[in-house]
Amino acid sequence: MTEPTVYELSAAGRCGLALPEIAVPKTNLPEALLRRDNGLPELAQRDVVRHFLKLSQHNFGVDSGFYPLGSCTMKYNPKVCEDAARLDGFAASHPLQPPETVQGNLALMFELQESLKEIGGFAGVSLQPAAGAQGELTALLMMRAWHADRGETQRRQVLIPDSAHGTNPASATMAGLDALEIPSDTRGNIDLEALRAACDETVVALMLTNPNTLGLFEEGIEAAIDLVHGCGGLVYGDGANMNALTGIARPGDFGIDLMHYNLHKTFGTPHGGGGPGAGPLGASAALADYLPGPIIARCGEGAADDGTCRPVMPAKSIGRMGTYFGNFGMLVRAYAYIRLHGTEGLRQNAIHAVLNANYLRVQLADRYPVPYDRRNMHEFVCEGRPDGSEVRAIDVSKRLMDYGFHPPTNYFPLIVAEALMIEPTETESRETLDAFADAMRRIADEAIGDPDLLRAAPHTTPVGRLDEVRAAKQLILCDPAAPDTED
Amino acid sequence: MKKIGFLINPIAGMGGTVGLKGTDGVVERAMQLGAQPTAHLKAGETLAALRHQLAGTPGPPAIAWLTCSGKMGADALHAAGFDDVEAVHAPAEPPTAKDTTAAIRRFVDAGVDLILFCGGDGTARDICSVAGTRVPILGIPAGVKMYSGVFGVSATRTADIVTGYLAGRLGTAEADVLDLDEVRYREGEWAVRLYHAALTPYEPTYTQSQKMLIDEATDADVKQEIAQHLLEEIEANPEILFLLGPGSTVQSIGTLLEVDKTLLGIDAVLGGQIVGSDLNERGLLDLIERHPRRRLVLSPIGAQGFVLGRGNRPLTPEIIRAIGADNITVVATPAKLERTPLLRFDTGDAALDAALAGDGFLPVVIGYRLRRLVRVAV
Repeated sequence: MTEPTVYELSAAGRCGLALPEIAVPKTNLPEALLRRDNGLPELAQRDVVRHFLKLSQHNFGVDSGFYPLGSCTMKYNPKVCEDAARLDGFAASHPLQPPETVQGNLALMFELQESLKEIGGFAGVSLQPAAGAQGELTALLMMRAWHADRGETQRRQVLIPDSAHGTNPASATMAGLDALEIPSDTRGNIDLEALRAACDETVVALMLTNPNTLGLFEEGIEAAIDLVHGCGGLVYGDGANMNALTGIARPGDFGIDLMHYNLHKTFGTPHGGGGPGAGPLGASAALADYLPGPIIARCGEGAADDGTCRPVMPAKSIGRMGTYFGNFGMLVRAYAYIRLHGTEGLRQNAIHAVLNANYLRVQLADRYPVPYDRRNMHEFVCEGRPDGSEVRAIDVSKRLMDYGFHPPTNYFPLIVAEALMIEPTETESRETLDAFADAMRRIADEAIGDPDLLRAAPHTTPVGRLDEVRAAKQLILCDPAAPDTED
Repeated sequence: MKKIGFLINPIAGMGGTVGLKGTDGVVERAMQLGAQPTAHLKAGETLAALRHQLAGTPGPPAIAWLTCSGKMGADALHAAGFDDVEAVHAPAEPPTAKDTTAAIRRFVDAGVDLILFCGGDGTARDICSVAGTRVPILGIPAGVKMYSGVFGVSATRTADIVTGYLAGRLGTAEADVLDLDEVRYREGEWAVRLYHAALTPYEPTYTQSQKMLIDEATDADVKQEIAQHLLEEIEANPEILFLLGPGSTVQSIGTLLEVDKTLLGIDAVLGGQIVGSDLNERGLLDLIERHPRRRLVLSPIGAQGFVLGRGNRPLTPEIIRAIGADNITVVATPAKLERTPLLRFDTGDAALDAALAGDGFLPVVIGYRLRRLVRVAV
């Protein structure tokens, strides 16, 4: 790192602020209470401001540049949604307040549930799950309960295409079920022959992402869903890629029984840092009663509906998936986003997300082979091995950082060798897309002419090439209670 | 500077061209029938591709070659334009398997990083009888039979593997070295046998742990995961007799159980204890009769994807029927499945093979609580 720590910047006797004259007589603390070894840094206010500003500039986010991290939908987060979440009535309310004192919050949640029902074609929505993967787990627990109520406890298998997000098999295992991977066919669709062979009385569900992680619409979606329903199983939709479908097609209409939404992907709430997130779950009429609660209901019906809302538990609810009402601040942002765009705006987002991704694919396909080269949806996967060069996807990604772009997702989905998964989202301009394509082409030239330049990249970032796996798995932690311990 | 031991079996492949099922012990007859040596041509293709690839890389890993004189190696290396070539063994004329083993002994003693050979299963077998799993081996496919998992899919693809391995991009994995019993084969009996475990360069298995992070799991890690999966099944079902088949993937279960599982044989485990080792047909039948609940654990062998082949001697159709087609668990590392996209059953009993193949797909344990549906040849 080029920026020293505050301890390295410290100079004895330097002070950050001038305290006013004291109005009472000065009394020294007893000697025994004084610590000489507190080791606090001494800096001027100017040093502190510059230090933290520089650190903040070492971050890369959607606000600082193009972030085509496939499968993550790194779209711009409108600032008006942030403003809404910071309104006192939302930000300063307490989850233990009596419902009658937080009617505005409850009404917002009710409206958001209604919007998500309409967008996905579902009979019920719960805002409980705190993230997409928790939405998956919630759905599996609901499906397990549904099968148990029908006396079908022999159902233990969850079918998952080999292109699925890694969270799918993890969620199945966490729900105490067994994951079975189903291969893809040569067009990047789920192999229907294999699916047919797997469909029997042991199947809990198929977990399906549509468009899948190759960015391709499942061409056999209706046949796949029929096969699973035909053997008494259910179909779970991983809503991670909903940004391609919003306003165009409704998963509930094509037979998906349950689906989570990633509010941070489709509805522009901030990503990252491990949360807070929100992964609301939509359910078909048959499964809505199993949703986790509380969900928000209107107090009366018809003429008796005076607009007041209250939290209720669905009739056969699997219970809570978290405390209180989920990550409420995220719900406010998503609600603001949906209202900001309206029905037509959301539809235009999907259209432009698909258009941008196809534009980039066509720009890059002659330099970066696209293994399933057909019209994609909101993202596409190419091989990060330009023109048969010896460089790897990771080298291309690292070199992109020197050009000022965040790398795409690497090595995922696992069924494509040296995969680069590129998702531009609808919020980027044509100029940005052209600049990115231009950088990718220049990198392809470098891969042939000077591959070592790529292998040693990045060159312009505060730190060079990191061993990311080691950094994530061998954590160096310090115990704040033991100030003398280092490393 | 990397050291590669290089060896051509000059007679490899000759039997095949004249309809003999292998070349072991019949080279003179093959020559009488008009067979021409072809192995040096295959070797030349790989070496030329390798030379070309290394020329395109800045600061190439220079190779010091150890080889045999003449047509068993040195000639082909010189022809391809390599000059750092040391002949460490002078073969007899005509060369025999003894020349192969003598040369390999010299390579191993000299501490080579890789043994590159041109031949077939018989050559691989001879090499492994000396090298074992001490040095990774890689075969340029040139034999009549190539069932072992140590061959590149083509002569040029083999060169890619060599450059990838020299560049540190590929790891190593254990692979099976198989061969037909050629005497039995020429009598019309198809009998493949697992002879050795070898080390060979492999594409690592990638697993995604987080959005931006990819783990390269080693072959040993993946086998450990598979073993853990089965260990839990064995522990949860103390009344089930587990019959553990041959191969290094299944052997890893024994290692985790801390029992002495044979590499090549079929061993029985009950409640975590070995109750039968290297069982023959009689021993298997005896155990099956006494244990109404049993499960057979198998891994596809070699590069051909045979879960059960005719050479799998003790596992006769009668034994498989007694165990029950539904009581077979197939395990395989994703790296092996990469090379074996199609599983095969060839017990010699067509009706049984069809029952085992079911509807054309089989769930295969590929990791801890991870199973993949894999196509079976019907």
